This record gives sequence, structure tokens and C-alpha cells, in this order.
Amino acid sequence: MNKILSSFNKNKTYLIMLILSVVVALILGAILMLVTGYNPVEGYSAMLEGAFGTPRMIGNTLAKMLTLCLTALGMAVAAQAGMFNVGGEGQLFLGGLAATVTGVYLQGVSPIIALPLAFISAMVVGGFYAFIPAWLRVKINVSEVITTIMLNSIAILVCKWLTNSGGWLITDDKGVLGGTEAIPEALAFSKLVDRSNLSTAILYGAVIAFLCWYFMKKTSIGLEMKVTGENQRFAFFSGLKKDKIMIGSMIASGAICGLVGMFEVYGYQGRFMDSISNEFYYDGMLVAMIVKYNPIGIMIMSFFFAIINVGASYMELRVGISGELSDIIFAIIIFLMAAEGGITKIWTNFQNKKAAKKLESSKEDKING
Amino acid sequence: MDNLFQIFNMGLLQNTLRTSTPVILCAMGGLLTEQAGIMNIGMDGMIVAGAFVAVAASYFLASATMGVLMAVLCGIVIGLFFALFVVKLKSDEFIIGMALNTFAGALTVYLLRSIFDVKGTFSDEGIHSLPTVHLDFLEKIPFIGTLLNNNSLFVYISWIMVLLTWFFLYRTPYGFWLRASGEHPESLETAGINPKKMKLLASVLCGVMCGFAGAHLSLGYLTMFTEGMHNSRGFTAFACVIFGMANPPKVFFAAILFGFCEALGLRLQNVGVPSNLAGIVPYLATILMLIYITVSTKNKKKLKAKKQLKNNI
Repeated sequence: MNKILSSFNKNKTYLIMLILSVVVALILGAILMLVTGYNPVEGYSAMLEGAFGTPRMIGNTLAKMLTLCLTALGMAVAAQAGMFNVGGEGQLFLGGLAATVTGVYLQGVSPIIALPLAFISAMVVGGFYAFIPAWLRVKINVSEVITTIMLNSIAILVCKWLTNSGGWLITDDKGVLGGTEAIPEALAFSKLVDRSNLSTAILYGAVIAFLCWYFMKKTSIGLEMKVTGENQRFAFFSGLKKDKIMIGSMIASGAICGLVGMFEVYGYQGRFMDSISNEFYYDGMLVAMIVKYNPIGIMIMSFFFAIINVGASYMELRVGISGELSDIIFAIIIFLMAAEGGITKIWTNFQNKKAAKKLESSKEDKING
Repeated sequence: MDNLFQIFNMGLLQNTLRTSTPVILCAMGGLLTEQAGIMNIGMDGMIVAGAFVAVAASYFLASATMGVLMAVLCGIVIGLFFALFVVKLKSDEFIIGMALNTFAGALTVYLLRSIFDVKGTFSDEGIHSLPTVHLDFLEKIPFIGTLLNNNSLFVYISWIMVLLTWFFLYRTPYGFWLRASGEHPESLETAGINPKKMKLLASVLCGVMCGFAGAHLSLGYLTMFTEGMHNSRGFTAFACVIFGMANPPKVFFAAILFGFCEALGLRLQNVGVPSNLAGIVPYLATILMLIYITVSTKNKKKLKAKKQLKNNI
């Protein structure tokens, strides 16, 4: 308990800033609604209702939280070692596709064998797709930010090509456009809440989240990653194999993203669709950045983001306010949190000046009096 | 052979000019911030904001010129906003850039919905597009004449911008200070000039260029605003900046090369390559270009060092 309190004191200004920026972002969102002619109270209450109104909605919120949390952890694992993996979207697509192909191919095989194989295929493909930019970065120093962004577009286009007319993986099922064959029912995760997106994937997700936290915070690997991320030269001169750490963390990040893709398919879509992810990874990235890649923070923050995100799409249906409002609110929080150091500095400077002035004026008073 | 002619013809070159223009404009802005020592990956957001404002202004004020002006104004505001966070508050450029992209993308979609009450695409006869330029004297030159004539206004402006950027960077004191603010801010400070002001100038100018790029996209290239119409051109421009080592003529060349690849992708669709596969071409080309440039600069450095070593002996 003491430990928690002391860590709280250490991060006090940070936490205050976090809460303040969330409040400010929500207020700015309300102002935006007012300016564009909507009632913010109506908007926000619709948002809350959309996130918690029925068991099904709560299930959807939790499922969204799972996606956000895992993508954010994927980002965090790489960022901890100083690699900015912007390519999670592509890794997600390819991982999902690989897991689906494995599942469809292994029709009739017992889930005990088929499911682990699907996991492995998603992780291997996702990991490999992250390995390419990581290798390029470490070996010939090509910025991973650009290559991952470009690889995103490539992966999405390849998936679109494979699953649309003329592609190799199209389905004969009627009414399905841009999708593969459905995975066998025996393999799909069972639903935890009826008709919602929430499935047993959240249990696997919890395990992954725990492992991420454990490796990042409790093992020497995590420390080595952190050292490499903060100062590569120092890591090099401390005898750390920084190349291996950087590539490894990137592969882990890609593997997690691949699994997210698999969970989307096995959790509720039932087949790979070319619209499997609507920039989920970018939202996850934002979550990871806000809490400075802290795994525990990610878990809490992704819940908050899931509420706004799921709530916003309901709000769009109900009140007619565009669901993009959620992204606007996220972005404002990030602006404020990224500027957290600068803002607190200006604030303390301001306080010091005020104190100095007070002191001066009281001195003058003494002299005059 | 017939197929080859279907791909490689005049249309390909014309398309190259059309598709490379927004990237050139945006990359000119990006190289200014790069020279000032700011890694600017927020250009995507700047373009999409510029494109939206241009369409909205052109629609409401019934003039394409006003559209461009408003887009530039919007660029200045975003540039100031970016500088406020990156320069004044010393935030992480990467995070601010990413957040700016999300913010601008989401805000434009939100406003599209609430102002024009449409989702996805807004095209209306009320949007005034930019004129195409027709030069009589060019008509007489056989090949180049048809290529260079009848392009959108911004195609020419983008070339002028390349010259202006080069002149500004290498022939004016401001350009010199701007480069110094990225390379060695301490010495600039010793010289009595605030490097922060130079960085601010760079990001505002970058905003202006991206405003131009956005206006070209929505008023010159097409006459409408579509959600995600910038198609990660900001990132491509950033790649061009890296590829051209932030040198205006080299960046210009890189952007043209990129435009060629994109045009090639469009052409490949005509000969039966699936559109999704053909769409890969520019992205793949960007990656290959980046690999090539980093490897070749490394080798050049090695060669130089070897030569020096030999000379010394």
C-alpha cells in the first residue's frame, strides 16, 4: 500500500494533468457540439448510454477495450525499446488473414491442434511483417516510421486484392463482399455476452496483457529494452545487444498486433473481411502515447477510450452527431498530455513569479510602512 | 508491345505531373521543417485541413481564389499550433504529428457532417475549381508543348515554389538562420538570433505549403472533398524529404519519381492488373527508394573516408 502511495506522490502532477486534460477535452468537445448546433448534454448522455445501456453494449465496450488495450500494448512494447511501430494496422490485417486461412484450411481438425496453430500463424505473420522494418532500421538505418506506414498501405491493399473478386481467397457465400471463407464454428471463440462482440478472446487478451506488463516491468529484458529505448549509445557501451533487443521488441509488437487481427476474426466476425479494422491501431497508438507506454496505464486508459469510442458510434445513430467526435476528444487529450512537461513548467514559473512579486511588494510595504 | 504502349505514353507523363504536384508542395514545406530540425509527420493532417477549408471557402465565398487564400490561412494557423506544441512547449514531435493527423482527419469529417450534412464525399456544383493554364506559345513545341500545357494552375506554382524554397534557404539570411536552427541551434543563439523563432517560421511556412497542397487536391486535382482524400500523401512527402536529404531540387526529383510510380499504378489498371495490386506500386517504390538512398549515402561516406585515408598516407 505504501508503495502505491509513494508512486502516486511521484506521479502526482502527471495524474493531475491527465485528469485535467480529460476534463478540458470533454469541455472542448461540448463546445464543438454547441457550435455545430447540437446539445452537448444530449450528446454525452447518448454516449454513456451507448457504452453501458444494455448488457450487449457493455460487452461491446469491453471488446473494444480489448482491441485498444492490445494494440496499445503492441505499440508500447516496441516504443519501450525506441522503435516506433506505426505499422500495427498492416500487421493486424495480415495476422488476421493468416489465422483465418489456417482455420479454414484445418476444417475438421480438432480445435486443440487447430487453435494453437492459428495463434502461431497470426503471431508469425504479424511478427515477420514487423521484422522487415525493424531489420531495415537496425541494419541500414532506414527510418522505421516511414517504412511501417508504407507497409500498412501495402498490407491492406494485398488483403483487399486477395479477398475481392479476382483474388485467391474469395468466398462463394452469398451476401459477402470482400471476405474469405468462414472459419469452422468449432474454432470460433464462444461469446460471453449474447449478440455482443465480447468473446473469450478477452481472457487470452488478459493473459497477453499480463505477460506484457510482467516482461516490461518485472524482468531484466524489460529493463534492457528501456535502456535501449532511452539511450542507444549507453546501451551499446553497457554491452547490451541493442540490435537484437530492438528487432525482438518489434517482432513482439507485430505478433501482438497479428493476434488482435485473429481475435477480431475468431471473436466475432467469423471470417476475414477487408474492412476488419477501421484504423484500430492508430487509436491504440494514441492510448499508448498518452500514458507514456505504461502497461497499467494503458489498461485503464483503453477502458476510458473504449467508452467514448463505442458511445460515439451510438451517439451518431441516436443524436446524429458524427462519431468522429471521439477521435477529436482523444487528439485533444494527447496534445495536452504531450505538452504536459511544458505546461507544468510554465505554470511553476508563473507561480514563482507571483510569489516573488508578493515578496517584493510585502518588502515595499514594510519599507513604506 | 501494345500493352507497353498502353502504359508508357503521354498520358503517363501527364499523370505524373498531376499526381506529383501535391507531394512536391507538401515536401517543400516538409524540408523546411526538416532543415529546422523538426521531424514533421503531421503534414498529412495539414493537407487534409487545407483541402477541407479550400472546398468550404470556395463553396461559401463562391471563388476559387478565396478557397486557396483560406487554405493558406488555415495552414498558417496549424503551423502556429504545431509550433506552439513542438517549439514552445517542447513536446515530442512524433506524438504531436500523429495527434495532429488524427485531429485534422476527425475534425474535417465531423465538420463535413455537421456543415454539409454529408458523409464521406462532398461534391457540389457550387464549388469553384481552379483554372487550368493554357499558354499559346507552348502549343508550337511538339512534345513538351502538349505535356506542359493545360495543367492545373498549381502544377506551375509548385515548380516556382521549388525555386523559391531553394532561393530562400540558400540565398537569404533567413534561410541561413533556419538551417542553422536545425543544425546547430547553440551557435545561432550566440549570433544573437533566437532559434525558436526560426523553427516557428519553418513550421508556419510548412503549414502554408501544405495549405497549397490541400487546396490543389480539392480544387485543382479534383473538385470535391472526400474523407481521407490526402491518401497519406503527407507521409509520402516526408519520405521524399528524407530521400532528397532536405535539398529542394533533390526532393523535387524524388516527388516526381513518386508521382511517376503512382501514375504507373493507375496505368497498370488499364492493362488488367487488379487495382488493389497496382495501388501498391507507389508505396513499394517509396520503401525501395529509401533503402537505396540510405545505402548509397553510406557507401559514399565510406568511399570518401577511404580516399582521405589514402591521401593522408
